[in-house]
Amino acid sequence: MYDLEFLDVSKKYGIADSSNAESAGLSGKIARFWKSPADFWALRDVTFRVSRGESLGIIGHNGAGKSTILKLLSNITTPSRGEIRIRRKIAGLLEVGSGFHPELTGRENAFLSGSILGMRRAEIAAKLESIFDFAGVREFADVPVKRYSSGMYVRLGFSIAAHLEAGILLLDEVLAVGDAKFQEKCQRRILELKASGTTIVFISHDLAAVRTLCDRALLLNRGKLIGEGAPSDVIAQYARLGSERPEEQQEGVTSLQRAAHVTSFYFFDDRGEPTTELRTGFPVRAVLEYEASRPISRATINALFYWSGDWSVSSHFAAGPMDLMPGMGAIEFSSDELTLGPGAYAVSCTIEDDEGEIDFVSKTYFSVAAGKPMRGKFFSPNRWRRLSEPGTVGARSGQLHDIEPR
Amino acid sequence: MDQESHACTKVIGPARFSPVAAIGGVRELLRHSDLLYTLTLHRIKVRYKQSVLGVGWAVLQPLLLMVVYTIIFSVIVKMPSEGAPYAVFVYAALLPWTFFSTSIATASASMVSHGSLITKVYFPREILPMTYVLAAFFDFLMASIVLAILLAIYHIAVGVSVLLVVPLMLIAFAFSLAMTLILSAFQVRFRDIGIAMGLVMQLWMYATPVVYPLSVVPKRYLWIYSLNPMSGVVENFRRVVLLHSSVNVAILIPGLLVCAVLLPVAYIYFKTAEATMADVI
Repeated sequence: MYDLEFLDVSKKYGIADSSNAESAGLSGKIARFWKSPADFWALRDVTFRVSRGESLGIIGHNGAGKSTILKLLSNITTPSRGEIRIRRKIAGLLEVGSGFHPELTGRENAFLSGSILGMRRAEIAAKLESIFDFAGVREFADVPVKRYSSGMYVRLGFSIAAHLEAGILLLDEVLAVGDAKFQEKCQRRILELKASGTTIVFISHDLAAVRTLCDRALLLNRGKLIGEGAPSDVIAQYARLGSERPEEQQEGVTSLQRAAHVTSFYFFDDRGEPTTELRTGFPVRAVLEYEASRPISRATINALFYWSGDWSVSSHFAAGPMDLMPGMGAIEFSSDELTLGPGAYAVSCTIEDDEGEIDFVSKTYFSVAAGKPMRGKFFSPNRWRRLSEPGTVGARSGQLHDIEPR
Repeated sequence: MDQESHACTKVIGPARFSPVAAIGGVRELLRHSDLLYTLTLHRIKVRYKQSVLGVGWAVLQPLLLMVVYTIIFSVIVKMPSEGAPYAVFVYAALLPWTFFSTSIATASASMVSHGSLITKVYFPREILPMTYVLAAFFDFLMASIVLAILLAIYHIAVGVSVLLVVPLMLIAFAFSLAMTLILSAFQVRFRDIGIAMGLVMQLWMYATPVVYPLSVVPKRYLWIYSLNPMSGVVENFRRVVLLHSSVNVAILIPGLLVCAVLLPVAYIYFKTAEATMADVI
């Protein structure tokens, strides 16, 4: 018995429709109203089914069509072709705090947001205590939400959504809400729902979460379904997909004309095998190979790591400055503890000298799985020792003074 | 959960202009009646929460217009008012008219102003314009209290015929709803509607017997005049409240027919436009 069937679904967006409508003027708008604009297919002939109680993960690059699937499943928009069949009540934890009004109190907003998400008033009233307890804002229930901190706001929003009773749950990147303690609470809640038979569709860049939460995964690329299977297999396919993508930013200069270029970059696991899966807080080793066509003085070689969410640089490895001789060479980077948190990353390699960039190679992909426990976005390697214990004479006052400025 | 498993399958397919789908839409709307109630309450609450005058605002608009029109059409120009004091004569007409014009002014922008909600959560979208029409109806009820006071001041007795305002307001409600469904969906694609509506509503008021009685309208134009459902509503509202005269059916029927055709067409159009609203908003 399938809870959800997505049958040969295609979704077309008119590009001109969504762009700046004001500049076109009335005649342009009228013309556009009758004429179909340039089309963009966000999804093409995608078919999949989700069984009762199953949790399905959907992964893919930005723009692959993941959020279009969510919008179609939650009926925010309709398909251009194909059909979607839904056999249980569906609820999306997509937009936390939907419909909150700043002037209204937490209690009033709970009713407002809850009803927008599809709850009945009586249902909300019955769950109100539990909603405020879960969000940890019980004592602020009658305070206008404009006085809430952003953390409280988001927690209340999530808590309302988490109390929806639905057979099918759509999850976006909502697990990244609030502080680490609240995130743990959210994950526990979702695992509870999963255990109680809720069907889950999970769309995320957090590959580690997809692996722990999902029974099966789909891989989307440019609106097409290109992979389906066990999460670890599909995640591996996703990582390969990244390195197969055509290189960007070559700007007409072929590699041969460059003074030096990066030929490969691989991470290695502890058995010395190339890998695309790392773990937070564990040792990491990478090897970058390059080829120089002439001597380069004071060169730096970098590996830059990007968040797959927004492509901002999160961290990097750097080697140099050093002098490079013509010919092939290799650099080994290593670290005792990987500081990147769980998620999907891309890596770009650059060779620079004092005059600027010589080579830029983008992007191969890798994923980081949960390793040592961490809070926030980075794992921070640290040492610790005990300065005193209860009962140690004079320890408390004497030791603390050392840290204060003199 | 067991009950849910027997629930019928929801099928989402491409958008079509379909009367059958619109019937399903009404069923869906009824399931969301709680949301309609909550949002309407919210509309009314938010409007008055931070204002000093509070509910007074609902009364102020027709009251102020009454004063202005009384000065112009009673002191400066002598406008016939069928025996009633002009102030009450015009206020009784301003009540249903203000309900209509407030509905149109606030509800036609409802889709555009809730764009962020529309792209994030699904609920029957017609709830948004409906809440504005309902909130305008609440204002109408508040402003009616002032009419009662005016009637007392001018010692005008009210007969049983006053009960006829209920069906009259139902017609006004249906017409407001039909207009706002069309205008709000249209405004998603054509933002100019919002600017144009202010002007249109001003002109429309003069095409409705608000500041003058129906009796001054030339007979040969009456048929086209009566196609405006608000003509029949406003004229008859005044007749049943102030003049104790019977309902003028001739002026009411054409508008009633317009309403009966317009409302279902407006709803079907709205539901068709709704399907892809999130893509263009």
